Amino acid sequence: MKCFSRYLPYIFRPPNTILSSSCHTEADIISTVEFNHTGELLATGDKGGRVVIFQREQESKNQVHRRGEYNVYSTFQSHEPEFDYLKSLEIEEKINKIRWLPQQNAAYFLLSTNDKTVKLWKVSERDKRPEGYNLKDEEGRLRDPSTITTLRVPVLRPMDLMVEATPRRVFANAHTYHINSISVNSDYETYMSADDLRINLWNFEITNQSFNIVDIKPANMEELTEVITAAEFHPHHCNTFVYSSSKGTIRLCDMRASALCDRHTKFFEEPEDPSNRSFFSEIISSISDVKFSHSGRYIMTRDYLTVKVWDLNMENRPIETYQVHDYLRSKLCSLYENDCIFDKFECVWNGSDSVIMTGSYNNFFRMFDRNTKRDVTLEASRENSKPRAILKPRKVCVGGKRRKDEISVDSLDFSKKILHTAWHPSENIIAVAATNNLYIFQDKVN
Amino acid sequence: MEVQKEAQRIMTLSVWKMYHSRMQRGGLRLHRSLQLSLVMRSARELYLSAKVEAPELEMPLPAGHSPDPRLHPPREAEPTAQVAPPDGEPPSPEPMDTQEAPRAQETFARCSPRPAKASRKRRSSSLNGSGDAGLVPSKKARLEEAEEAPSEIPERLQPPPAQAEGAFPNLARVLQRRFSGLLNCNPAAPPTAPPACEAKPACRPADNMLNVLVRAVVAF
Repeated sequence: MKCFSRYLPYIFRPPNTILSSSCHTEADIISTVEFNHTGELLATGDKGGRVVIFQREQESKNQVHRRGEYNVYSTFQSHEPEFDYLKSLEIEEKINKIRWLPQQNAAYFLLSTNDKTVKLWKVSERDKRPEGYNLKDEEGRLRDPSTITTLRVPVLRPMDLMVEATPRRVFANAHTYHINSISVNSDYETYMSADDLRINLWNFEITNQSFNIVDIKPANMEELTEVITAAEFHPHHCNTFVYSSSKGTIRLCDMRASALCDRHTKFFEEPEDPSNRSFFSEIISSISDVKFSHSGRYIMTRDYLTVKVWDLNMENRPIETYQVHDYLRSKLCSLYENDCIFDKFECVWNGSDSVIMTGSYNNFFRMFDRNTKRDVTLEASRENSKPRAILKPRKVCVGGKRRKDEISVDSLDFSKKILHTAWHPSENIIAVAATNNLYIFQDKVN
Repeated sequence: MEVQKEAQRIMTLSVWKMYHSRMQRGGLRLHRSLQLSLVMRSARELYLSAKVEAPELEMPLPAGHSPDPRLHPPREAEPTAQVAPPDGEPPSPEPMDTQEAPRAQETFARCSPRPAKASRKRRSSSLNGSGDAGLVPSKKARLEEAEEAPSEIPERLQPPPAQAEGAFPNLARVLQRRFSGLLNCNPAAPPTAPPACEAKPACRPADNMLNVLVRAVVAF
């Protein structure tokens, strides 16, 4: 298991925060983190509807130890609070998900979504500007035509780099329920958006129509037993996608089979272990995230206490199950009281699909090496912020004698939770969102 | 008994959470509401099974009284907590709600406990006898309750009219009318702390409430 060190204690804090490190405004809480396909850019979305994009610095011979530092590249307000007048409901501006499109020209494109509306943003650089207009002066004011005696050709001159983000498409009014996932298809022409009961397929060019490909809303809402919790397209097969449910099941659908994919092609479910049955079994079995491996061979699911890896060719049980924080199993009642049992943790693969990572409480996050079967618990905290420090593995003491460096279950801070993490597509660089702070760690071997 | 108390505590807590989830930005979350209803169902099953296992702890039922475990003679008149089936409700603009509204009304009629005003007199003399009469509230009494109940709900528990409608108007009204009494038990409790009102006679019997609540939750 490689050790992760802090090469740079990069902690993101919005510039308008004047509170101390222990306080923050609700709007600053990071709600999604995503690397782009090359890993050059890292996007974060927050509860205030803002998107902040970081760009990795180019390597330089002069500052080898600062190689690969991520700096703020662009910040923009993606979504604003809205009001649904028909239902008298406020629509939160919180960014639920960001997904990058593969780069096809000099500009970058990403999708960002709140509960109801998906937007396609174009992020482009401008490092030249035209000068020498005839009808305008240098400040842009119109000149009196009678004062113009000569004509000149405007020329492009270099300027300070400016990064601008413009909304190119707005995909609205297609979801009755709250959007939980978006996923870009491998054809790069379509994407899907999923809410609690329906999944819609969009074409990037068309904003006033979408195809409904999954609809699990029962005719009688009293018979509702499960909702869709996450959905993702297969990384290579543009006809295949999966969606997870609140009952702990995963359905794989093939869009070639029918227009409405209500009947799944594959159904992944693990029989419940009777010894683990408890009062809150149904809640903790709800899947909060589903991710295809980069190879497309496996899917990973996260429920409240475990991460599971499934082989697409075997539906009756996962091939691997990892306990994230099993010591919480006896605390479910308290976690229900403080609402923590409803937390939706995400999970990520590393570039080679050999390591998986997910978050926990007390600003802990866990990594599991699938090959060596070793796991490690690390902490994202300011105390680990010394440059070139190595992150020390942490351990939770479940009972009996607590060793010196261990922390007991009752001392865990449940307000500090790591729900969102991201892994660079090819290198061992990880981004961990801890409430309103973003930590970026890199493997010291690199 | 412990199990019963714990189950009731969890049911009460769940009701509280359901009520407060209405107030949060973005409106009711379907997934969260479903999870809360699942917990309430499990708590109800646990409560009922614990009750069946410990019959000697139950109050002796009067002769002729219905053996239905859901029936409990209310110990105190609590008009705010009584049922007020949405008789005069306007049809909801949401297509899914128009389908559910008549069903919800049926459900309320089935599980409805005695109306407040008409039964106050009756209750003191009817502990031993007319349990069945309580199953069929008079229309007149229902209408009186419907007028009475909103005024008795404290100001702070009444959401602004715009918010009370929202995406799930039936559920909103059910919660507002039925559980304001329950929520009154512990007005100062933070949302995360379970209101401890099992000891107070003003609290509604769990079964009736839960039956309706579970259906109401799913019915939106």
